[in-house]
Amino acid sequence: MHIVDGALSVPVLATGAVLTAAGVALGLKKMDYDHLPQVGVLSAAFFIASYIHLPIGFSSVHLILNGLIGLALGWAAFPALLIALFLQAVFFGFGGFVVLGVNTLNIALPAVLVYYGCRYGIQSSSPKVAAIWGAIGGAGSIILTTLMVAVSLMLSGEGFALAAKATFIAHIPVMIIEGFVTASAVLLIRKVKPTFLGLDEERVYG
Amino acid sequence: MARWRFILTVLCMCSPFMVQAHNVISGVYAIGSTIEGEIGFSNGDMAAEGTEVIVFDSLGNELGRVKTDAEGLFAFEANKRIDHFFYANLSSGHVMEEMLPADQLPESLSGDAVKTDNGDSKQASKTASLSTSGMDQAELEAMIEKAVAKQVKPLRQELMQYQAKAGMQDILGGIGYIFGLCGLGIWWRQRQKEKQEKANA
Repeated sequence: MHIVDGALSVPVLATGAVLTAAGVALGLKKMDYDHLPQVGVLSAAFFIASYIHLPIGFSSVHLILNGLIGLALGWAAFPALLIALFLQAVFFGFGGFVVLGVNTLNIALPAVLVYYGCRYGIQSSSPKVAAIWGAIGGAGSIILTTLMVAVSLMLSGEGFALAAKATFIAHIPVMIIEGFVTASAVLLIRKVKPTFLGLDEERVYG
Repeated sequence: MARWRFILTVLCMCSPFMVQAHNVISGVYAIGSTIEGEIGFSNGDMAAEGTEVIVFDSLGNELGRVKTDAEGLFAFEANKRIDHFFYANLSSGHVMEEMLPADQLPESLSGDAVKTDNGDSKQASKTASLSTSGMDQAELEAMIEKAVAKQVKPLRQELMQYQAKAGMQDILGGIGYIFGLCGLGIWWRQRQKEKQEKANA
């Protein structure tokens, strides 16, 4: 998921940086500052998630968690992910500094879209329905991210079909796992701490 | 109860799988006038067979193209003693960029290279020529270089993998930064609030 320095053309990099800056500004503006600790915790979760590889058959995958981050944070996913991606570049050498804008956009925009798409679903009074919407959010954010990665590569000259196929196939296991993880996270958080997902307790239980 | 189960699940997920991530790792080194290189990923996979590596000089002129073999290795025959730049696109946003400085190539190659003064190697070749009087010196030098390169190769690979691996300090450091930034944000927020209250009062 992390595109490295040198893979993208300058216009793509510039567009990514500008859109990310806009997203971060909007995120900071819309962020409820009482929830700042949540933003930090989820940012930290994303930071480590990319480092933990789950072996699957011949290959290994890592969680991205942008669906869950989107559901919990909305637009604040932009600043949270920007900081996590920046620190990943510093400490792990994932991605790079020039591509930071594009990488943040590719991961945070799907998170925001999932927030708008699945926010009402996970508030459903039926836990089953909520879990399904959580799974859709988890898997959907990965699908959107792979598509955006493919578009970034295509705009920089790589064949879209080829890039999209390679990235998409590589991430099918991630989509499935993210779907499960997000669904169970939604179920758990609904029980333990509904406010974490911006849910109204009375609405869930009432 | 549920909370404990959650924490336990997370811990179980984390502990056994502390492997490094999917970074491209690569290296190039000169063996005589041949430049050998390898491309792989930090999880141990090597680059796909037939990955095209483009070779440039320092001005960006293409010097040639070579393809990797099944083990992610490639070889390029240098015919000038200049800096060689290598570039390969492994798709999905993975690219490899490496540079081999001119001074690692043998002096016998022509080129607009800067003259490097290495008395040591002259001395070494002198002693070598003394002991093996009959043998062609250039041939011997090439043989030594090849032998040393062969010995050093596994060490290089290990070192590369080691460098690509992030340690516990990196993880804890990153988390610390995030929480620190959060703390700063909360502190700043608190100050704003206090200011507002003062202004209102």
